[in-house]
Amino acid sequence: MSDDDAELVALIDNELDEDRRTALLACLAADNGLRQRYEELRQTGAPLAASFDVLLEQAPLARLRTALSDNEPIRRLPMRFAGIALRELAVGLVIGAFAAGAAIWAASTFGLFDGREDWHTAIAEYTHFYTNETFSPLKPDAVQQAAELKAVGAMVGANLTPENVALPDLRFTSAFMLSYGGSPMGVLAYVDPSGAPVLLCILANGAPDTPTRSERRGDLSLAWWSRNGRSHLVIGHVPEERAVALAQMIEKQG
Amino acid sequence: MSEASRREVRAGLEPSLARLWRYALVLSKARDAADDLVQATCLRAIERADQFAAGTRIDRWLFAILRSIWLNEIRSQRIREGGGFVDAEDALISDGAREMETNITASTVLRAIGGLPEAQRETILLVYAEGYSYAEAAVALRVPTGTIMSRLAAGRAALAKLK
Repeated sequence: MSDDDAELVALIDNELDEDRRTALLACLAADNGLRQRYEELRQTGAPLAASFDVLLEQAPLARLRTALSDNEPIRRLPMRFAGIALRELAVGLVIGAFAAGAAIWAASTFGLFDGREDWHTAIAEYTHFYTNETFSPLKPDAVQQAAELKAVGAMVGANLTPENVALPDLRFTSAFMLSYGGSPMGVLAYVDPSGAPVLLCILANGAPDTPTRSERRGDLSLAWWSRNGRSHLVIGHVPEERAVALAQMIEKQG
Repeated sequence: MSEASRREVRAGLEPSLARLWRYALVLSKARDAADDLVQATCLRAIERADQFAAGTRIDRWLFAILRSIWLNEIRSQRIREGGGFVDAEDALISDGAREMETNITASTVLRAIGGLPEAQRETILLVYAEGYSYAEAAVALRVPTGTIMSRLAAGRAALAKLK
């Protein structure tokens, strides 16, 4: 590519000011080689446009439209960034199936990135995409919440009810299924009075029992433990002591 | 957030989905990442519906959101972690079966575009597929107009070599 190319392309695209355009046209009239180059560059225009049209036709519209359910705010976001591979069924389908009491499994995979990430890291990265407005608009009725909990509980082998997942100063909004490393993972989403999300993740991975431990990762607090073949993680924008206290309450309630 | 704003943004998202996905694919060169980037854009747009200035082009606003998510949250994260998306020239070609059905010229051109640096791919898309003027592209990409010119010329020059 040369400076001439940039000018020639701008001429083709009708982006030169009048003076420059006049000057370049004069050059073209006098320079056979420049005319040939102009023609070479000009001929790339139509194939370019056609090729981009091909990409447009390949857009997976049905899948993308699931993010635009008219009935519910978008609340769960498939992510495959930073090695995270997270899939789920359409929000509407999941809600509908849960409401119907079906034990549906959102066949998602929450994978590792070359085995370097642990599931806490994957969850933490995913949690960063939630904002105070992700879950707080959700106000499902008790019947729907119970149905969701029942379905999620069945998938991770836990008895989950609105009563035994209730936590002080947090409002339970919804439960949904993901998976990680091939193991089913239930996610219970809560919001604090400001709307900030706090997640309880339950991974049915057969892990041996471990006591509660905690840490800070950036502005997130994590508290985790394993019991009865399930790993649990509480994560949210709360103080670390608060995450630990929540973890201990959940452990007792379970 | 007002319900009216949310509805307006939702209404603007629907007809823009395919174009958002194309932009995401051209940036990321990975179809799964493109899906996710579009969904992240939808989420962010609805959450920030109040920030959309009524009477302006919603597609351009959505493109800006998508680009911001890509640059600030996704690509940079991958770079920090030493990862990155596969830098394959044929990343814009879907698969063998699809390729056989696709006009061979389009496949060839897409492969050539896939081999260009991200900045050139993005500029070419915005100007030649999305109809941005040079000045509009310069504003959107925060570079001088001369940079837009040189990126487009480099892209066209690479394609001209195919002949």
